[in-house]
Amino acid sequence: MPRLLSPLACVLALGSLPALAKPGTSHPTLAPAQRTRFQTLQATRVSQVRTQMLADRSRLGLGSRDGFAVQSAFTNTQGEAVVRLRQTYDGYRVWGAQSIAHVLPDGSIRAEEGGLQSGISLEGAPRLSGQDASKVALKALAPKGKLDQAPQVEQVVFPARFLGGLATKLDPSTGRPVLDRALTVYAKLAEPFVWAYEVRVHLQNDLDGARDLVYVVDAKTGNILRANDISQRLTGVTPATGTGNGYFRGTVSLNTSQMADGTYALYDTTRGTLPNPNLQYYTPDGSGWSATGMQVWWEEHDGSGNPTWNSYLFQSNPTNTWGDGQPWGQLWGQEGEINGQTSGVDAMSAMATTWDFYTKVFGRNGLDGLGTTPFAQVLSTTYTNPDAAWWSVGSFGVYLGAGTYPANPTGHLSMTDLDVVAHELTHGVTSPNWSQFWVNSPGYEEAGIDEGTSDFFAQMVKAYANRPSGADTTVPATGADWEIGAGVNRGTPIRWMDKPSKDGRSMDGWFDGIQYMDGHYSAGPMNRALYFLSQGASSTQGDDHYSPYLPMGMTGIGNDEAARIWFKAVTEYLIPDGSGGITFAQAREAAIASAQDLYGTGSTEDIAVQSAFSAVNVGLAPGQAPRVSVRFAPWRNGDYIETNHFSDYSNRQIFPKGQTVIPRITVENASDTAVTWSIGGPSMYRGSDYSVEEGGVINPDGSWTTPNEMAWHSISATSKADPTQFAEGRVFLIDMDTDMDLEPDAVDMAGIAYSWYLSNALNPAHSVLEAPWVDDGDVSFFVDAMRSTWPAN
Amino acid sequence: MRLRSYASIAAGILLPLTLACSGSSSSSTTAPSKPAKTLTYTDPAGTGWRLVKDASSTSTRIVLDLVGPSGTKTRGVGFNLQAEPKAKFGTFANGLPINDTGVYQLLSAAADPNEPIALVGGVKPGNVLSVGIYQKDRAQPAQDSGAPLCQIAVELDPSKGLESGDHLALSVVKAKVIPEDIGSASDDLYTLNQKMRMADITIATGSLSAK
Repeated sequence: MPRLLSPLACVLALGSLPALAKPGTSHPTLAPAQRTRFQTLQATRVSQVRTQMLADRSRLGLGSRDGFAVQSAFTNTQGEAVVRLRQTYDGYRVWGAQSIAHVLPDGSIRAEEGGLQSGISLEGAPRLSGQDASKVALKALAPKGKLDQAPQVEQVVFPARFLGGLATKLDPSTGRPVLDRALTVYAKLAEPFVWAYEVRVHLQNDLDGARDLVYVVDAKTGNILRANDISQRLTGVTPATGTGNGYFRGTVSLNTSQMADGTYALYDTTRGTLPNPNLQYYTPDGSGWSATGMQVWWEEHDGSGNPTWNSYLFQSNPTNTWGDGQPWGQLWGQEGEINGQTSGVDAMSAMATTWDFYTKVFGRNGLDGLGTTPFAQVLSTTYTNPDAAWWSVGSFGVYLGAGTYPANPTGHLSMTDLDVVAHELTHGVTSPNWSQFWVNSPGYEEAGIDEGTSDFFAQMVKAYANRPSGADTTVPATGADWEIGAGVNRGTPIRWMDKPSKDGRSMDGWFDGIQYMDGHYSAGPMNRALYFLSQGASSTQGDDHYSPYLPMGMTGIGNDEAARIWFKAVTEYLIPDGSGGITFAQAREAAIASAQDLYGTGSTEDIAVQSAFSAVNVGLAPGQAPRVSVRFAPWRNGDYIETNHFSDYSNRQIFPKGQTVIPRITVENASDTAVTWSIGGPSMYRGSDYSVEEGGVINPDGSWTTPNEMAWHSISATSKADPTQFAEGRVFLIDMDTDMDLEPDAVDMAGIAYSWYLSNALNPAHSVLEAPWVDDGDVSFFVDAMRSTWPAN
Repeated sequence: MRLRSYASIAAGILLPLTLACSGSSSSSTTAPSKPAKTLTYTDPAGTGWRLVKDASSTSTRIVLDLVGPSGTKTRGVGFNLQAEPKAKFGTFANGLPINDTGVYQLLSAAADPNEPIALVGGVKPGNVLSVGIYQKDRAQPAQDSGAPLCQIAVELDPSKGLESGDHLALSVVKAKVIPEDIGSASDDLYTLNQKMRMADITIATGSLSAK
């Protein structure tokens, strides 16, 4: 987890270079010619950073076997070289350990070092091979279909602090949560670091659907140490210029290609200089097609709408005029014909606008900064829900659902509107490859920040699409409507950024436990903060743009400055390491650092960032008094579960089912620390989280009589002193009564001891998780539940 | 079993009250109460399962060792000990109200200090101390129970109003051990299921008083 230190952890001086930059000095955006001058210095600067970091190892607590590998580097619009270094040990990557260094125009270097790992000491070689590790991962995954790509395997050093934990999934046959054995990690580590293999698997077939998974396998024991499902969902030619009749974009000019046979394709060789990592496995057919160059494909179905699991490039068009401008009429079997082409036109036009936005406003080479080709697949009903869209890290492409309207009166139109496409392609900016992706699953605050970032830049692209002629390098002040999905949802937005709670589900402010929400709804505070940053907040109570966390309101700084600050934050400070550990608090720190970089410490923009985040209950604006804080975590005080399960267990509590218990809560900054308990919480919107239950009874004395059901349960506590402050926690109820004498007590631990490491279902009652096996996990949960429920005097 | 145990507790509590009443009836004045300053414990007689005073005890904290009959091999033990509300169960450095004495093998052969161990305890409503200590997995051999197998502690808590002369009844209301023979994974399932059952034991307690 990148621990962003504030202020920046270190300022390194290069002896032969000019003096250090004064903290707080702003670095204005440079003209292209000036920037080019610094770009020519980039290679030298990267080398200087690496040399300086190596020389500084002792201060950092690192040894001679530690090193640094340059993961990526670019020169930003302020002329700063931004260098991402991954820590290595004997040349192998240290999992989750990185440093991001900025070389300022004057040559001084600033580096964040909070993510580095000191104290590594490993001897010998891995006992297992990479192939062995791959087999372990595939055995755990148990794919039903055939892999079209071999897993990618990399030997790494794995820190024990990243060890994964319990994962549950819904059993479709019973509707109840069950252990997800493919993603649950029971392993333990005796040492703080071990040799391991990272195995990356991209699944895409008709039996498994499409999934991107990462496993980390212990190179000595073969135990899986961590598992993440990182799928992100919302869901020789001649360049030519075609005419597109889109439904959402209207009549537009499109960059297309004339293929070898003289016909045209929705294939833009002017955007994308590196091949698409998924399409490059396709065999060229002599048409002139290649995997390099932005392109749009369509998904084939039979006449009844059943997928054939084939997809094709929009091609063989003799006129280079595309689409009929009408909504997709669900003309199954005719996806490549004129009505289906309309979705292709909308997608192609939106992709081009988004590509140009990142390229021309921020000087970025496409989405990933390297020029890698993205693609879109429209009218999809397979790799995504038809009423959704999905960015695939493994494919570096976007799958856009066909929509279910009008067959489904409440369904969506073809998911090809500009904001949907720009949202998904922004995932390609923040999660461009297997070594840099945001974890987009409930359970991580990072998911909400990820989705909020995509929503925000979708708005900026929307404004950019309406820019005046020639104004290609700035974001217009107007043109954003701060609504997401209104087009595909036939006029009603799916999300509102100015007041996310308008949808009845999203949150307007941060709370402890927000990570349990789906990222599209936990995005609320991120969306609202960025709206406030650009457009300001009202001081009039009751106004849609009023925040109780910032009653005095604030003045916005406009689209262009807000976009530059947040782009710098997500591309230079909040670079994910795959652990899912980025928090809203870190997002605030990154935005402040970016604003100070761009406009100076204490600048209007700096203060605006602090105010905007304060307005969503993240940090304070200058001069604000501390707020009441309500938190479930931390309370385990360093026990096995806390230390070995990292963020997954940061605010979860274990209790026995069918008992009266008192959940733990911490209230700070209030003389009255009393709370009101309630069953459920925001993540449980209309039972939306089917893997979590709401049950039991809150008693008059505040205790909770837990339901007699082994499952995750949601429970919330609201401050009596400040009802705007609350926390939602997850409680897992276990069956402690392993001897079935109706009296859960310490004697029941014997049941676990009897069955410890037996796996032949001798007595399922011995498992506190009601599983047909018993192991260390049962012991941990039992001890935890006992301590939580009946603490010693 | 539980009903019988509760009945014996009630008898233990009622007896001192009766004596106090008969004493007061012979005097026109009541002696002023005197806050207790120390605890004393007298070990129970016999060589069976029993709680005996450990040498590490102090005048305000009685550490009790659980000792079993010599020659009897077990793999773990758990019990519930009920005490009067005025008695306070103490904790050890591990934060639990039970302490390992090193007889049972709590760690695997790898002896990973971070691995979860089956040492568990808490105080349930009614001032019932519930503790257990069990060996790591099934592969460990059973241990002779004639040595101190674990420790618990009772402390003097001034806030509980304990007075000099008070007798604090202790009663083990449930106690079970994992015996030596727990069957083998190669046994047929019926045999194995029969052997995977805990054995009831009776734990004798001594006399705990305040002065």
